[in-house]
Amino acid sequence: MSTSDDRDPIAPEDLESRLRALGEDLAVPPAPPPADLARAVRARLEDGRAHDGRAGDRTRRRAAWRPPPRVAAAAVAVLMAVLLGATPQGRAAVVSVLRFAGVEIHVGGAGPLPTGVPGPLPGERRVTLEEARRTARFPVAVPSALGAPADVRVADGGRVVTLLWPGVRLDEFDGTLSVVWRKELGEPWPDQVGAVGGWWIQQPHGVSYMPSAGGAPQEARVAGPTLIWQHKLVGLRLEGPDRDEAVRIALSVR
Amino acid sequence: MDDDEAVTRALAGDLDAYEVLVTRYSAVAHRTASLLGAADEAEDVVQEAFVKAFRHLKGFRRGSSFRPWLLRIVANATHDLTRSRGRRSDLAVRLGREREPYGPGDPEDPEDAAVDADGRTRLLESVRALPDGEREAVVCRYFLQLSEAETAEVLGVRLGTVKSRTFRALRRLREEVGREHLG
Repeated sequence: MSTSDDRDPIAPEDLESRLRALGEDLAVPPAPPPADLARAVRARLEDGRAHDGRAGDRTRRRAAWRPPPRVAAAAVAVLMAVLLGATPQGRAAVVSVLRFAGVEIHVGGAGPLPTGVPGPLPGERRVTLEEARRTARFPVAVPSALGAPADVRVADGGRVVTLLWPGVRLDEFDGTLSVVWRKELGEPWPDQVGAVGGWWIQQPHGVSYMPSAGGAPQEARVAGPTLIWQHKLVGLRLEGPDRDEAVRIALSVR
Repeated sequence: MDDDEAVTRALAGDLDAYEVLVTRYSAVAHRTASLLGAADEAEDVVQEAFVKAFRHLKGFRRGSSFRPWLLRIVANATHDLTRSRGRRSDLAVRLGREREPYGPGDPEDPEDAAVDADGRTRLLESVRALPDGEREAVVCRYFLQLSEAETAEVLGVRLGTVKSRTFRALRRLREEVGREHLG
């Protein structure tokens, strides 16, 4: 200990090089493989595009944005709809409400209002598929048509599981007890899809999340074309693919 | 494909080109987030930062370096996280490569004492005890080995601030470590 550097133990450049060496010895939590990160980021960006009605240069998803042919859907809708005449403040427009598989769809209002980037759901975190299966309050289904998801998220204490593939978002949720999602869209009515016993919403529409703890809807954003259906007791909403592809994916869920 | 070309193509909406940038900078982004206090949430922070960076790519000054521009977004995302968690932006690391991250509030680990052959643990503890601004300057300059100019950009402060914070941090560390030497 009693060497000559007792008087000036650490020369400035010595301390700097010790700090650099220390930095090289530091362990940080393990990073995911770069390719996995790239895929997850890409899935979110493509997902964001699917939500972004103003996208101009987005050739790949362009087709999905064409407004649908007008369909006389009202008569069909009555079959499953809980129709309520509601009068929004200051307006005489009648908004009809369809409740199905944990989703409440308000049709006939102003259509989508929210803008901005989608935020995470309450308590949302990334997990592995296995972890999602352990955490979720329902059996998590993976459509075989899509293979393993690029990214898996669980939110609100296992009430919602979100599976992401590039350009595709699949939310699964307890579809039996309460309203999980609220959707606001202008005419036309959603289209019934007999093959999966669900509904197809073609137009961009507002979607918000109804927290299990109650309170105001959260995370309002604009969603793209969406298929809603129920598989056993699980509610599912699939966003991104066009209608035929969405139905094909839905039919591959077991 | 160099950064500039990748940015040009990503700006035109080419996600393949952006994937090149994500892959290229994922490791340093992850390390930056971890060292600035994201701890085991670094993975989420980094993903968030890359999504944000793509959405703000128009704000990137062409011809400048992509890395510090990206790392600033990573640093900001880390700060948002630590603020929202109501915790200090701690230096969430440990010595050695195999062990678990050092969670905030963990009790002192007796194992650390054993590793202390050359005072690295003590030095790390001294860095950790620095005031936030000085610690972040040290993390950027020495642990991430960024230049002073890059550090200024990443932390969003002036070059002179980086210099003075680094200077003060080194003086404090020298006192700490010197005290240990004499003790």
